[in-house]
Amino acid sequence: MNKIEITNKLKTAKINQALGVFIALFGLIVIFAMIFTETFVQQMTDLVAGLILLGIGGGMIWKSKLTQIKLNAQERFE
Amino acid sequence: MLAGIDYFIVIAYIVGMLLLGLYFKKFVNSSEDYFLGGKSLPFWAIGMSIVVSDIGALDFVGVSGQAYRYGVSVGNFDWVGSVPAMLLAAFIFIPYFWKGGMYTIPEYLGRRYNKSVRTIASATWILFFALDLGVLFWASAVLLNVLMGWPIWISILSTAGVVGLYTYFGGITAVIMTDVVQMIIMFIGGFALVFLGLHAVGGWDNMVEKIATMGPEYQSHFDIIQPSDTSSPFPWTGILFGLTFVMANAYMIGNQSIVQRCLTAKNEWHAKASMIFGSALKMFIPILVLFPGLMAVVVHPDLADGDQALPMMIKSILPPGLVGLMFAAFFAGLMSSVDSLLNSTATLFTKDIYEPFIKKGASDKHYLKVGQITTLALLVFGVATSPISSDFPGIYVAIQTFMSYFQGPLFAILLLGIFWKRTTQWGGLSALVIGIAFAVFLNVFKEQFFHIEDPFLYISWWSFLVAFIINITVSLLTKKHSEERLKGLVFSSKIVMKTKTV
Repeated sequence: MNKIEITNKLKTAKINQALGVFIALFGLIVIFAMIFTETFVQQMTDLVAGLILLGIGGGMIWKSKLTQIKLNAQERFE
Repeated sequence: MLAGIDYFIVIAYIVGMLLLGLYFKKFVNSSEDYFLGGKSLPFWAIGMSIVVSDIGALDFVGVSGQAYRYGVSVGNFDWVGSVPAMLLAAFIFIPYFWKGGMYTIPEYLGRRYNKSVRTIASATWILFFALDLGVLFWASAVLLNVLMGWPIWISILSTAGVVGLYTYFGGITAVIMTDVVQMIIMFIGGFALVFLGLHAVGGWDNMVEKIATMGPEYQSHFDIIQPSDTSSPFPWTGILFGLTFVMANAYMIGNQSIVQRCLTAKNEWHAKASMIFGSALKMFIPILVLFPGLMAVVVHPDLADGDQALPMMIKSILPPGLVGLMFAAFFAGLMSSVDSLLNSTATLFTKDIYEPFIKKGASDKHYLKVGQITTLALLVFGVATSPISSDFPGIYVAIQTFMSYFQGPLFAILLLGIFWKRTTQWGGLSALVIGIAFAVFLNVFKEQFFHIEDPFLYISWWSFLVAFIINITVSLLTKKHSEERLKGLVFSSKIVMKTKTV
């Protein structure tokens, strides 16, 4: 992998990390909104929607962190 | 009206989008970064972005409104009206545009035909996008007015402020990456609305039964194929010829805001894959946009304006938290459509008008600045023209009417340009000019020619056919281009890779 490819991948990883934080925060807010619901169906809908957002956001943060560590190590090695 | 947690979610979303968009400023150092994202973006982000910028305001409000008025036949726009065209774009057209190192579709037309074709095509797209901006701002105002109780002008200005800032600073990278978030939220919010909506109407079968008993005007509400003499704007003849053959292809292959996304891909594989991935996501869209409109027929049968169906459903069906999420999702769609138009129009103006005609050979930083200033100017124009769209009965139909003027002729010259070596610069130019004039003529005298409410599908078909025939006829009468000039521009020729100096 050359330097340009590493820079591009690092750019994508940083972007994904920012997106992940945003989506995960939204997931937390939706889960919190459960306390304002009135019926069980509403409560479960908020919970499922919030968990999906949290899962996607968390996954993106984890993956991008991993990529950044790997690419930084590779950059130092090269 | 929204209150408490929902209000907080919407505000948090708007502020978050703004911060996220501004964060992407650090990735913009050249005009290629601003207009093509440095050609470094992955297929999944581009695919999501294509879908979300396409379904934005138009589908969520407009198609739900059309489903409320006319039934499921409007779903054709997202199935036969998108998927085949996206696959055709992925395998035939996108590789040519990407390998050619192009910034805009008119740039291809300029190389294939001549500078006049490039300028006319670019100017018409700029005009369409600029008018489109006003329609989108108006759509956002209608929604904010219903759900938040904000006055129309406050709604328009707040949308313009947020989208304008992040598009101005972050360019297409900000546009595509905010689209990714927007798509995820739209899908989750949309599916939640469908799930709870079905629960509220007692399930699918119950809904169908109730709608069928509401009167004779609802008898064909669940017919995806409407007869050719239907009074709705979606007869099967129009869907097949106007939508599937012409408008869908023109949109997915010749629309700058769609194709420009594919040109940001890191390599040819990612460029193709983005369209294929987008087409897979597209198949879910009718579920998200049609169902709320249909369910609104049962829950709110007396709405005066079909475009109110979705906002009313969100208000009455969703629980706290998800009302805010869904509204944020819808607002996301609007923002996505607006940011796409802003960036694409800035690209068209800078690359096709400013660079060749106003200042040739300036520095890259200069063109970057021009792109940013154009974005700001368009924003002001969009806000100023937004009240025009209130004169049209349906937001979605209004957009299609604007598009049908030149979608057909543009697609005709693009199609012949790629597939027929014999087509000449004069063939292309006359086809474009006469085709657009013919579409305007048909639209002005539509009562004399068509019997349906809004014949935009027929107009696009006939204007395509006229442009196609004119192109062939004039090309056969004029001098053909040399093989050398056509290299990399027509199907089966080897494409000369544009070398990029790093």
